[in-house]
Amino acid sequence: MRWPLRVWVTVGLLVFFHFLLHLGLGFGNIAPDLLTISLLLAAREVGMGTAAGIGFVFGLLIDAFNLLAFGTNTVAMTAVGGAAARTRDLFVGDSFFFVVSYLFLGKWVKDLLRWILAGEGVREPFFQALLVQSSLNAAYVAIVGVLVVTITGAWRGSLR
Amino acid sequence: MPAYTSETVDTSGRRQAMVTVLFLAAALVMFYLPASTQQQVSAALRGTVLMPFVTVQKAVLTFRSRAGDSDWLRKQLDSLVAVTVAEGGLAEENRRLRQMLELSRKLGPTFVSATLVRAGTTGSESTFLVDVGSAKEIHSNAPIITSQGLLGVVRDVRIDHAVGMDWTHPDFRASAMTADGATYGVVESRSGLFREEDRLVLDGTAFHTRVEDGTVVLTSGLGGVFPRGIPIGLVVGQAEAEGGWRRSYWLRPLVEPGVATHVLVAMGNAADGTMDLSPVWPADAVMTEEQLAAWDQARRDSLDALGDSLLVMKGMVGGLEPGDGLGRRESSGVRSVPARPAALESGVSDLIRR
Repeated sequence: MRWPLRVWVTVGLLVFFHFLLHLGLGFGNIAPDLLTISLLLAAREVGMGTAAGIGFVFGLLIDAFNLLAFGTNTVAMTAVGGAAARTRDLFVGDSFFFVVSYLFLGKWVKDLLRWILAGEGVREPFFQALLVQSSLNAAYVAIVGVLVVTITGAWRGSLR
Repeated sequence: MPAYTSETVDTSGRRQAMVTVLFLAAALVMFYLPASTQQQVSAALRGTVLMPFVTVQKAVLTFRSRAGDSDWLRKQLDSLVAVTVAEGGLAEENRRLRQMLELSRKLGPTFVSATLVRAGTTGSESTFLVDVGSAKEIHSNAPIITSQGLLGVVRDVRIDHAVGMDWTHPDFRASAMTADGATYGVVESRSGLFREEDRLVLDGTAFHTRVEDGTVVLTSGLGGVFPRGIPIGLVVGQAEAEGGWRRSYWLRPLVEPGVATHVLVAMGNAADGTMDLSPVWPADAVMTEEQLAAWDQARRDSLDALGDSLLVMKGMVGGLEPGDGLGRRESSGVRSVPARPAALESGVSDLIRR
């Protein structure tokens, strides 16, 4: 399969499986955040604006079920999408360590932004929400993300 | 002198940065939109792009229910005595459905049954979808109940579905009273360190009244949202006492949001607070999920023991051959009771099936 096509097929499949696992089959937090992985993968292929646009759409889709704080995911994913696209200009990103850090930080920063925007009444305490839950979720995303790019080869350049 | 970077690269970079800023601004606009507009946007997304996934979850729930029913029928046909451990989940769902049917019969046409679907996405905690909407006369703020008591309330209504929040939602409030009507207050949700620690609190009760542990707390009907008499929880201790004028109590919720899949939603004006549902839940029927599970297990054990006893009796009665006392009486011309009466046979078979 040609290079860009492989990435976009992977991104599309991740989005589909994210909603199938979380919403269709109701696995909830047991299933990894494949939407963030797909955003982070797509962001490495496009410009900052396009990545922000993808993040905007993804965030809106998640916020469709977010009565507690509508818009928090939209803002967080838009910002993360834009910032993730910018990393291509700063890092070559062909090392295993970079991919793991990129996925881990991408997910963690997204959760951080969401936590900040959510407001006092809705969010959990910082320690539990970010240091415990988000860190575990980010590690989960990093592991699954590395597996995905290893299996599909949807990462520009070979990992060292 | 030529520029270090080409004009095309510069322009493209600037354009991308501008687009990013535009999307960020759009995202912030979404964040600050009025709640009604936000709900319209979410409803539009739920009704279009995400509809197939919601439908899949409904289909999965229906499939599980049907699997439970067919398994139950198969067990009847096979006259199995023991219920295996693996069938515990299905039996549990069957029990819940039977309770919902019973509750629905008691409540009459003021409530409509619905299937509850949880999104499971980030930020959708404490909220869920029910597959009934304004087409079935569901209104905003309609109470959502299970056979155990109050689960939550409807927040947003569409034609064919509605979005509700359960009692773990930070905005959940219910005007409440103790079962004897002596103490009134407001029940609200208190977040724990983790989601599993979310609890209910009966707040704003008068300081001079004392509520004992185990007291049942019901909706009071004040405020016009919830009908009077829906169980909410049991008092499990005092939370705080302030300044000699107010006490609050921790409640053990009667409904576990995580296990609720089939619910009843109030229709029309059933939620206007004038209805009294106290007779629907008599005092001995108010139980927590754990108490209910223990009670159900005890009932099963009793039935199993009774079934075993009847099996032993059946064996003993069946072992009476024509050569013994009964046979001799018959041979001597005295008409005796049949050795295995038909009523006993059918009773034994019925118990074995159960």
